[in-house]
Amino acid sequence: MGIAATIRALQSALQSAEGQGFERRSVEPILKTENLWKLYHAGKVEVPALRGVNFEVQAGESVAVMGPSGCGKSSLLYVIGGLAQASRGRVLVDGNDLTEMRDSERTKLRRSKIGFVFQRFNLLPTLTAKGNIAIAQYIHGDGFDPHRFDVVTKMLGLDGRLAHKPSEMSGGEQQRVAIARAIINEPKILLADEPTGNLDTKNSEIVLEMLRRLNKDLGQTIVMITHNPEATTYFDRVVHMRDGVIVDGIPAD
Amino acid sequence: MMGEFIVRNLFHRPMRTLIGILAIAVEVALVVLVVGLVSGLLAETAKRIEGVGADIVLQPPAASVLLGFGGAPMPIKIGDKLKELKYVQYVAPTLLQSNSAESVEVIYGIDPESFRAVSGGFVFLAGHDIAGPNDILIDDWAAKAKHLKIGDTYALFNNDWHVVGIVEHGKGARVFVPITTLQDLVGAHDKASIFWIKCTRPEHTQDLMEGIRHILPGYTVRPIKDMLSIYTSTNIPGLKIFIDAMIALAVSIGLLVIFLTMYTTVIERTRDIGVLKSLGASSPFIVRTLLMESGLLCLGGIAMGVGLSYLLRGVSLKVFPTLSILITLAWILRSGIIALLGTIAGASYPAWVASRKDAVEALTFD
Repeated sequence: MGIAATIRALQSALQSAEGQGFERRSVEPILKTENLWKLYHAGKVEVPALRGVNFEVQAGESVAVMGPSGCGKSSLLYVIGGLAQASRGRVLVDGNDLTEMRDSERTKLRRSKIGFVFQRFNLLPTLTAKGNIAIAQYIHGDGFDPHRFDVVTKMLGLDGRLAHKPSEMSGGEQQRVAIARAIINEPKILLADEPTGNLDTKNSEIVLEMLRRLNKDLGQTIVMITHNPEATTYFDRVVHMRDGVIVDGIPAD
Repeated sequence: MMGEFIVRNLFHRPMRTLIGILAIAVEVALVVLVVGLVSGLLAETAKRIEGVGADIVLQPPAASVLLGFGGAPMPIKIGDKLKELKYVQYVAPTLLQSNSAESVEVIYGIDPESFRAVSGGFVFLAGHDIAGPNDILIDDWAAKAKHLKIGDTYALFNNDWHVVGIVEHGKGARVFVPITTLQDLVGAHDKASIFWIKCTRPEHTQDLMEGIRHILPGYTVRPIKDMLSIYTSTNIPGLKIFIDAMIALAVSIGLLVIFLTMYTTVIERTRDIGVLKSLGASSPFIVRTLLMESGLLCLGGIAMGVGLSYLLRGVSLKVFPTLSILITLAWILRSGIIALLGTIAGASYPAWVASRKDAVEALTFD
């Protein structure tokens, strides 16, 4: 399927999705970090990955985080996604302070409010595309919801590939499955860690367009890490990081 | 959904899964066969002793329940004293001698006339009764196992015996020789190991036992009808320990293989565990998933183990016709539970390791 055709299909599916229970969200603050530090230990040496990050994302906003390798982008993503514990400072997700939560509480919050998309897709290799998406629903606790499943898979143009395993799909298809898995439970925030890093230009554009549509048409809050300056054009705002701190925040246009 | 996930995980590495299943199968088969062999041999021996047809067996003081391991310390003249007792119909002295040349077996040295009187006589499938000093009777199972037929010579206790009769199994031993010849060969002149006693009526058994205890205090007097209940692993010295040791060995095999299988599974699936954590899977969810996977693997192993047990029993009985392996539903269930508990124990640590993995490290694992 060509890019234009894919986008047309996506637009059509999105319109359908809006009419089937996916609501547009109002713009309101949903993610905030205050003086956020993350220290790693290499033997007896403390290595700071984040050095007092102050960062804010409004509900319904799409933000691209750019910066050189090792500047702390991924650490920021993992901490605001509750996968890693902050060393100092605060992380507020939809009003919940992650830094005061135990691991099990962060897991619960992640299950209901966060969706992840990774550079290497990270699909479960033993499951089909359908299984990879359905397991997220299962873990979420609501069981398999065929209606929502159909809406999301049609939206991402996956309905013909659901019986295939990751090893039988292209990179672009795998990433679309990963996006479907991330949004199937309607998370408050979608965190994407270089989602086009392993894709060719054509598939990168498809994935970026899908992310943009998710944001514009469904109001999905998205924070994406990227090395690719062209990818930032699909987002409302670009944040630059260097040496563990955010150095600016400028409108993409 | 979880069922599909677990089954697909098992099929993802078929060789590893097969090895795990085989380990459990060996564990189950080992338990079932060891217990079955012990129970089978004991039950079959007890049944053969019952089959002699006596009501009471007299043994020397502090004698083992294993009839063939007591030597020959009783004067054969005791038989005359026993015959004088009320309610005694027949008395048959028997000299028992163990033979371990081919397999462990007990040879009965009998007085053909008195033994016939107590037992009601052999059922001859071929040949005739003992007539000469070097005549030997073999039961049908032993004849098959030893490939003996009428007219063959059989070397035993440095003596060449003439096979004169093939008898139906079930009369105490599998091999019978004249008591006097056996006494000479083993240097136990006028001695017997046991006396079989037939009461005038079965209901006189208790009274007769009291009478025997009165004239032969300290001697071991057992009613034959209790032999089946006496011949259990708990009554045979060391047998219970042997069975327990074999079960422990079997469990160790299963536990270690499952441990290794699940540990390598967890290492291989480190990234997948990170993915599950990123989706919000809790530690109990991850532990449960791995334990269910191990459990399913174990169920496959139990099924294969039961099949393997029956297969090995069939092969064993073909090769060793005198063996008796008793496979019971109770021990199949027990071995299954033992295997399941061993599996849970073996998979617990890898499952715990998986649940404790750092999500970020897991996601970046190569």
